[in-house]
Amino acid sequence: MSAVDTRVNLGGIALRNPVLTASGTFGYGTEFAPFLDLTRIGGFVAKSLTLEPRRGNPPPRIAEAPSGMLNAISLENVGVDAFVREKLPALPEGVVVVASLFETEIERYAEVAKRLTGAPRVAGLEVNASCPHVKSGGIEFGQRPALLAQLVSAVRRATELPLLVKLSPNVTDIGEMARVCEAEGANGISLINSVQALEVDAETRRPVLSNVLGGLSGPAIRPIALRMVWQASRAVKIPICGMGGITSAADAVKFLLCGATAVQVGTQNYLEPHIAGDVADGLVAYAERHGIARLADLTGALELPARRVPT
Amino acid sequence: MSPASPRRRAPIRGVGRVVSLGDEGGVNRRLVLALPGWPGSEPGQFVMLSPGERGAAPRSDPLLPRPMAVYRTHAADGAGDPALEILFKVHGRGTALLADLEPGAQVGVVGPLGTPFPDPPLGARAVIAAGGTGIASVYELAAHLHARGVHVVVLLGARSARDLMGEADFAASGVPLAIATEDGSRGVRGLVTDLLDDALSGAQPAALYACGPTPMMAAVARQAEQRGIPCWASLENPMACGFGVCLGCAAPLRSGGFALVCRDGPVLPAHEVAWESLP
Repeated sequence: MSAVDTRVNLGGIALRNPVLTASGTFGYGTEFAPFLDLTRIGGFVAKSLTLEPRRGNPPPRIAEAPSGMLNAISLENVGVDAFVREKLPALPEGVVVVASLFETEIERYAEVAKRLTGAPRVAGLEVNASCPHVKSGGIEFGQRPALLAQLVSAVRRATELPLLVKLSPNVTDIGEMARVCEAEGANGISLINSVQALEVDAETRRPVLSNVLGGLSGPAIRPIALRMVWQASRAVKIPICGMGGITSAADAVKFLLCGATAVQVGTQNYLEPHIAGDVADGLVAYAERHGIARLADLTGALELPARRVPT
Repeated sequence: MSPASPRRRAPIRGVGRVVSLGDEGGVNRRLVLALPGWPGSEPGQFVMLSPGERGAAPRSDPLLPRPMAVYRTHAADGAGDPALEILFKVHGRGTALLADLEPGAQVGVVGPLGTPFPDPPLGARAVIAAGGTGIASVYELAAHLHARGVHVVVLLGARSARDLMGEADFAASGVPLAIATEDGSRGVRGLVTDLLDDALSGAQPAALYACGPTPMMAAVARQAEQRGIPCWASLENPMACGFGVCLGCAAPLRSGGFALVCRDGPVLPAHEVAWESLP
């Protein structure tokens, strides 16, 4: 039994350790049963849910990119009711579930949040704010402070569950977006979602994805994610859940040092379906090696050069 | 004969060790991997392969594992680990990495994955048509059906004799074999689909199985539909995970929906696939 205290509190979500898995990379949890004991990790964020079941884009939906991948799945999911009725009961005892939700209108977001509130095993919600808002002509909620404020406020009124807001990295000032979430009652912030990207086949002169644009994820975006986690953590007091290209415990440590209270492993789950458990174990080994009693003490412990650095 | 076969083994994530890596003609390679704990697979299932040692910081470029059909499995021989054999064509960075591995090198493996080929009724006739690298997906099916007493005929197609993989294994299994090459350097000059008329001229088979390039499988599916023969095709699609999570490998269906090639497939009822909509 290790002496390291691995527990963290992510905005009211009590986690046995700070390692979660990211929405959209972990299905509804049961898919990973052959590879990973879900009680080895802090919890998982389920695939984003909408009010109705949703069908994805035509292929090609994914493409490889340097040290990463692009995807444009279009948030295919079983719908919130099937999730509560079929997916949640299929999970073993002791698994911490954060339910992710998204919609194209604010009222519908609030309705999904209501239906998830009180569902067994759901310890918190994560609002995916990187979705196009139908009434605003497809602008992402997370790209307009006023729109983001309305969204967070509406979901806040719809649920008593701990509420995380997952921010889009496709903004100029992530600190401003984080402050908006904090002001409207969010309990924490998750970032970053995938980076909007385009890849092209030079021979066919076509985009590689049917959707033209996709989201870039994987190690390629890790330094961008670290930068944004660091900026967001300096802008707000609520906890940050950091993610973007985590492949190892060392990567997870970097996010904690930059101000994250917890982390999410994403794309690497595809390659190594057991990896989140290894990252959790690796954090303990890191703490032991560095004589750290509580993993929570790593949060924000980045040692900055004495000289003033640009922010 | 249900398309969703109950024959499934729980997949593992393991680290295999290269036993051998040989030439299989042209740019084709034959990889034998020893893999502790490998539970075996059913005909038509596949694995996801990540070449190279993981270490503390894994290789990130190319990032994704590569889906590969299990060509065949060798049971553990006393002290040894079970081994799986993969036939593949070197055609990109991922397969080039695999092809460069030395004996003893590590390969991350997730599998067995996917829905296998269903069995036809006992004593029935069956025809297997495979082209190019699609041949790698049907060896175990042919051997399995032959061993069960199914009267199975195998049709293989390739660009040339050089590119034809697995011929000696099929011949050694005792399964009746017909071959077509585009340049006529082996067997009949033409496409594997040109062999279909002959193979389907006698008593109607109870099942037709296809794996190969999309136009070839579409042509086999058309023939099967015209003749009223149940037909299964094994599809290929880029995928990140292989077990139904990334949702990247969706194949359009005639119903308007999608099948995930990794989970619902790779083997799908051919008449359900919207062949003209595949990218």
